[in-house]
Amino acid sequence: MEQLNLLLEGFSGALSPMNLLWVLIGCLIGTAVGVLPGLGSSMAVALLLPMTFALDPTAAFILFAGVYFGGLFGDSTMGILMNTPGQASAIATTIEGHAMAKAGRAPQALAVAAIGAFIGGMAASVVVVFLAPTLADLSANFGPAEFFALSLLAFGAISSVVADSVVKGLTALALGLIVATVGIDAISGAERLTAGSMNLFDGISLVVVAVGMLALGEILHVVTRIRRDPKPEQLGASGDRAYLSKSEIKEAIPAWGRGTAIGLPFGVIPVGGAEVPTFLAYDVERRIDRRRKVPVFGRGALRGVAAPEAAGNSTTGMAMGALLALGLPVSATAAIMLAAFRQYGLQPGPLLFDNSPELVWALLASFFIAMIVLLIINLPFAHLWAKLLLVPPPYLYGSIVLFCVLGVYATGLSRFDLLLFLAIGCLGFAMRRYDVPVAPLLIGMVLGPLAETSMRDALLGSNGDYAIFVSGPIPLVLYALLLIVVGLKARQVLVGRARRDV
Amino acid sequence: MNTETVDRPAHGAGGGLRGRGGLVIPLIMALVSTYVVIGIAMMEVPPDTTFPGPKFFPTILAVAGYLLAALLTLHYLRNPDEKADQTEYRTYSDWTAFAWVVGGLVVFILLLDLLGWIVAGGLLFWCVTRAFGSSRPAFDISVALLVSSAIYLIFGVGLGLPLPSGILGGL
Repeated sequence: MEQLNLLLEGFSGALSPMNLLWVLIGCLIGTAVGVLPGLGSSMAVALLLPMTFALDPTAAFILFAGVYFGGLFGDSTMGILMNTPGQASAIATTIEGHAMAKAGRAPQALAVAAIGAFIGGMAASVVVVFLAPTLADLSANFGPAEFFALSLLAFGAISSVVADSVVKGLTALALGLIVATVGIDAISGAERLTAGSMNLFDGISLVVVAVGMLALGEILHVVTRIRRDPKPEQLGASGDRAYLSKSEIKEAIPAWGRGTAIGLPFGVIPVGGAEVPTFLAYDVERRIDRRRKVPVFGRGALRGVAAPEAAGNSTTGMAMGALLALGLPVSATAAIMLAAFRQYGLQPGPLLFDNSPELVWALLASFFIAMIVLLIINLPFAHLWAKLLLVPPPYLYGSIVLFCVLGVYATGLSRFDLLLFLAIGCLGFAMRRYDVPVAPLLIGMVLGPLAETSMRDALLGSNGDYAIFVSGPIPLVLYALLLIVVGLKARQVLVGRARRDV
Repeated sequence: MNTETVDRPAHGAGGGLRGRGGLVIPLIMALVSTYVVIGIAMMEVPPDTTFPGPKFFPTILAVAGYLLAALLTLHYLRNPDEKADQTEYRTYSDWTAFAWVVGGLVVFILLLDLLGWIVAGGLLFWCVTRAFGSSRPAFDISVALLVSSAIYLIFGVGLGLPLPSGILGGL
């Protein structure tokens, strides 16, 4: 059991006082942004990115992991109490969770959600520990053709799944890919799309795009709505501690299990994070519920809270595994973390496990610590987190905007970056307003260079013969997966149309 | 980047453009693709470059970009924006609030070097509080200066980030 020894060594690294502190800070920030509607872990990671360059890589990634997981613990709290999910991954939980809160069972819903998130995250971390090195070995054999197929799979999956229309997803992806081509071409040294401006020679910084898209775009979206939409009301979140009765636990256990199982595979499929698996888990529970004598869905079903939460966190855990072992980001948050690895000169993928084992295993060990910390700060204190809403929105968003410009300014000390940031923020707002997803843009920007270089390397190696792209089992499998994803989406669209016609 | 156009999406014009604001997305896509085409045309490729060179990938993107812009135009013409019709306000989005944030940022960017981080940042913070409908503008000034000074102290003085001190630096 080589992995267990490595993991134990990882724990000795992760349990150092400083790293424990970073886990705690990450979990607190993650839960806080998860709880606050309109903020999400992707925004928090984008804002933290420029601030973490002062840290050593292990500390930085432990912090990011805490934020990433914490967001998923916190987002359901507000969904359950106020029917305002903190981020998209909590929408599925909110449906039954809020119904439970209306029926006066808010503490139970919060507890089931927190424990579900804990179980999903723990299970995923265990799977990652045993599977990630194998995945890394597998990807060690990847050549340019394989990497190109992998990035095509990521592009296809992300742009077809996250949007209501594939065209919108592809639009965001194309914008991201175009942004990634700006600057000096790595292979030929040619200057591309810079319009002769010195400011663009090194390309457009991901910090500028991520903070503009995810933070400023979202803030502009919130500010144009805040005085127009009715304010949600907080439901009787009594200060009671959440005690689950034995029968309630018995009821929730199968749902936790099913949710975890549904979420795990989605961690390696780039569908933009935990939103899709949480809805799938919700749907499965609802179908099972319909077969019962007395269906409880719609009136506050425990299982409708348990399964999506477990699914969300198991997806996130696996996503971290896919990021470490394959260098494949499945969501906007993971894309920013991948960029962070590169900023430290680290390349996630097979080499990472060989070159920086102490970082990888300390990070994996910190997942387990983060889960426990998150359970402790969320299970008994959920109603305290709800108090965060007492921060007046003007001051909250004022501080966030200041942190945005601070982060952007800190990366380049240039006013040009700030102008670009403002333009990208406006673009992010327009995209949100007209339902164009932003995740494909970030994935495209981060994976674009990999896709382009591997495509050109493959063609250079084959003297321009396009058959190189289908000459091996791994690319064919990846293309088959891509076809399945696109096929499922096409079926969903067609079924949706047929239903509308009836 | 050609994204400046999104500052003024077509909105609230009544008549023909009502609910057609989504067309700003294909417009941006087409403008960006045009920028790519111009970029490809002006690109100086080193002479010893073999196929596929630096123009290869951007060319694919530009073609895809125009195609997507056409498809998007079709999509938004077929599916007019329902939200815009359902709102009781003249425009669906609150453009006054939007202008406070964007205006605050523009002023911040233009005056950062002159005013310095503390004053410019405070001004930006104050503009955002106005946008979010804070009812105490005078009190907000002190909060704004407090927050921007705290950031200056922590990141500028504490962590050594060279934030401009501006006019206050000469005092």
